Amino acid sequence: MRDLLNIRNPRKTAIFHTVMVIYSLFYVTPLFWMIMSSFKSNGEIFQDPLGLPKTLDLSVFPKSFKAAMLDKLMINSLITTALSSTIILVSASMAAFAFSRLNFKGSKFYLGVLTIGLIVPIQSYFIAQNQLVELFHLKDTRIALILPYAGMGMALAVWLLKAYLDSMPKELFEAARVDGCGDIRMYFNIVLPVLRPGLATVAVFSVLSAWNEFLLAIIYIQREDLKTIPSGLLTFSQKYVTDYQMLFAALTIITIPMITVYIIFNRQVVSGLTEGSLK
Amino acid sequence: MKPSSRWTPLILIAPALIIFVFIVLTPLIGTAGLSFTRWNGFGAPKFAGFDNYSRAFADLVFIKSFKNVAIYIVVTLFVEVLVGLVLAGILSSRVRTTVYRVALFVPVMLPMVVVSVLWRFIYNPDFGIINAVVRKLGAEEFSQVWLGDTKTALLSICFVSGWVYSGFYLAIFTAGLQRVPRDIIESAQLDGASDSKVFWKIKVPMIRSVREVSALLCITGGIQGFDLFYVMTGGGPYYTTEVPTTYMVRSVFRDQEIGYGSTLAILLTAIVLLVGLIFMRIRKKNEGSLEY
Repeated sequence: MRDLLNIRNPRKTAIFHTVMVIYSLFYVTPLFWMIMSSFKSNGEIFQDPLGLPKTLDLSVFPKSFKAAMLDKLMINSLITTALSSTIILVSASMAAFAFSRLNFKGSKFYLGVLTIGLIVPIQSYFIAQNQLVELFHLKDTRIALILPYAGMGMALAVWLLKAYLDSMPKELFEAARVDGCGDIRMYFNIVLPVLRPGLATVAVFSVLSAWNEFLLAIIYIQREDLKTIPSGLLTFSQKYVTDYQMLFAALTIITIPMITVYIIFNRQVVSGLTEGSLK
Repeated sequence: MKPSSRWTPLILIAPALIIFVFIVLTPLIGTAGLSFTRWNGFGAPKFAGFDNYSRAFADLVFIKSFKNVAIYIVVTLFVEVLVGLVLAGILSSRVRTTVYRVALFVPVMLPMVVVSVLWRFIYNPDFGIINAVVRKLGAEEFSQVWLGDTKTALLSICFVSGWVYSGFYLAIFTAGLQRVPRDIIESAQLDGASDSKVFWKIKVPMIRSVREVSALLCITGGIQGFDLFYVMTGGGPYYTTEVPTTYMVRSVFRDQEIGYGSTLAILLTAIVLLVGLIFMRIRKKNEGSLEY
């Protein structure tokens, strides 16, 4: 029916697309400008901010990559993100299984304790967390970020995965139990396979929030070779304040892979992020 | 279901619970405790009773930071949530819209620091796009030191926030709108209702819970805002973009006032909880009416 209406009114459709293209430019232009500016010398950037670059000289990219130590930053971000997300996926799926399907003493209490994590923001606890990290001599180690990222994402992950398991028919689990399947085997053979869509959702928001986290990253890591992309980029931008071409190039190098991954997986990314916040 | 052994449930919940209690719950209690002390990080914290709290209520910068964040929240409710809702309405009544949805969502997944550094350049008075366009249009007098002017700094940050998050709310509302049954919409269309009428009179009223969640996300997310403010303006000029989180970080890490910073943290927590509580009240009251 909608399609019929659209076919009947080609003029309206044309107006719609024109308006939307112009509107989308508002979202895309800053990124396009960023890429174009990384090809322009500082002089060009100042003289003609809106103009296209005169040459497509790629040499700034390796230079900026090296100056910003992007290889180190990317590896640090990758390790921190991969480990914190893996910890969340494994421990939250185990806990969700126990909370959703097993009757045990204290189940409500333990779930209630975890639920505090759904409500309180990071600002509520990072000050004493900083003392804790110092107390255990974890400053300037990767664990200083991995553990907090895992802890911060845990509550939402357990709740989301529990909701997934709650919606499964109970026969699925009880039939296996009748066949003599114990809890641990049930976790591997039934829970993990049926949880796959839920795990994908949890993975999306755990990965993105760890990859982009900034507040703890600037507090816990001072050593430049251990910084993650967000805090490392800030340091770089403070060091090369006026070398705009270098900074634009660094922004471009960081952004392009993310946009590429996003375009390939856009459906999963969008649904992962929206489900994570709607639940 | 009965567990296969007494210990398996505890083994299953142990990793999640231990990590959470160690790295979130203990610090949460610790921060609450520190909020009643005076401490510069060295030696033992000194008990200070409610001193920090009375100081916070009289602290003009702290009060200003709440006013700023309130303005930020009100503006972002429009430029993020309302814009997202309208976009979802426009796009949901059309076909072949994937390319727009993909484009509008791109900023959502970029690190806020990247966004902040990029937009600092966009607002740059000398070579930023905004002033360049203003000059091209021959309206030189409207060119601004956007982030350095007390009149424009906060609104400029709100605008960036809208650039980032309107695509996010577009996606949330799209998911909500898809749940509105087609037959209701089609029967309204057969009765001759226009697209915009169907949207505002039927679809929007029917997705109340999605609207509420979006507003809650925008409000609680706004109260916690940090990255944009810290990187783009650092709270300046003259505290016009100071928000509770940037002030808290400064108190603790620059002024070494760990006790006072903790008090600010606890007050912020109380406000977030209060907003959540009010929100739950509203939801309870509205329960039972027709919605999707």
